[in-house]
Amino acid sequence: MTADASDLSLVQRVQRGDKGAFDVLVLKYQHKVVKLVMRYVRNPAEAEDIAQDAFIKAYRALPQFRGDSAFYTWLYRIAINTAKNAVVARDRNPVDFDLDMTNNDESYEMQGRLKDSETPEALVLTDEIRTTVNAAIANLPDDLRTAIVLRELEGLSYEEIAATMDCPVGTVRSRIFRAREAIDTRLREVFEGGLGRAEEIG
Amino acid sequence: MSNEELESQLSAMFDDELPGSQCELLARRLARDEQLRARWGRYAAISACIRGEQGVRLETALAAKVSAAVRQEAVPAAVPPPGVAGRNFFNPWVTSLGGIATAAAVAAVAILWMRSEGPAMVARNTQVATPVVRALAVQAAPDATVADTGAANAVPVAATASRKSREPDSYVVPAQASQGPALLAPTELANYIVAHSEFSGPLMGRNALSALVAGESAVPQVTAQPIPATVVPGK
Repeated sequence: MTADASDLSLVQRVQRGDKGAFDVLVLKYQHKVVKLVMRYVRNPAEAEDIAQDAFIKAYRALPQFRGDSAFYTWLYRIAINTAKNAVVARDRNPVDFDLDMTNNDESYEMQGRLKDSETPEALVLTDEIRTTVNAAIANLPDDLRTAIVLRELEGLSYEEIAATMDCPVGTVRSRIFRAREAIDTRLREVFEGGLGRAEEIG
Repeated sequence: MSNEELESQLSAMFDDELPGSQCELLARRLARDEQLRARWGRYAAISACIRGEQGVRLETALAAKVSAAVRQEAVPAAVPPPGVAGRNFFNPWVTSLGGIATAAAVAAVAILWMRSEGPAMVARNTQVATPVVRALAVQAAPDATVADTGAANAVPVAATASRKSREPDSYVVPAQASQGPALLAPTELANYIVAHSEFSGPLMGRNALSALVAGESAVPQVTAQPIPATVVPGK
């Protein structure tokens, strides 16, 4: 088994012209990239814009990606550079948010996005998602909960988890899958509308 | 493949724990199957939630925007698969072979230049080189025959011409060697090699490079010649 084989297989598909494979990579790493960019900008909407730029730059540069490093390491560097450049550009050209001073459509649009991303409803929704996930994890059987926590929080490999839990690697794989399915089922029960939009991509 | 098995594979692929061959098949399906891709997106959201990341949302507005932007982009230019592109140039074997080839080419040019320019140069420098060669020959083979032979090939042309009739033919000097200064360089080199070979190895061991430097047409002709008993001191 090669490290990072899943990302590499997706990257190779993108390099052969399969744009759908790039959507899969974006879905996997969007949260990490936004979180990374948030170190440089406080505004969530601005962070999402920068993350979007970073992904598009990564797509354009993907023919040069040779697999010498992990895909996320490569994407991480692009995101960091994009965020730094965005901060420098913003400081040089501060945006005037005075709506009375301009009729520029872009300013209206940006103002709208900023408001939308910071709405109390959005914050409540995020909290509600976290609460639902935590409750679902709490209701898992011990072996499933331990496996998913060791994987997601501690970042252990399946082999390391198998050694920790004293069970075969195949059992670890099955436990993590069942844990994810249980959490996913609970999320779908609570947030049907939000989840439906995830399927519009592509 | 059952749905459960497929989803189990998806979970393993999300964790980078699926073998490469299965990853390729699943990646192909994932790029086309929207339901599977939505599930993949939820796995990412669950993962972000467990890690306590801020601003986790289930709707995929960012992914949708990126997807729309990418749809309008040109397809990236095709490149060789990872692990192949751009590496041959830095491959140590290729670099080594290139270095060897360059060295061989330089050596060949130097030899050819020596063979074409050497005689004229030696004709100009014969007076200087003669004592050194003679001393070498005498030092290497104190026996009269070898010393005479070596010296005879090293002395100036005028002296050689006068003595030629009473000296035996040298085993390393071609018949036309005494006919003019044009062949002095190979003669000197050959005599030096013979003198040197008394300490380094038998005459039969002369290599192709020695023959080439000495201007001989083929190595077998040289090695087939009998070695005079007087070449090796003490024999």
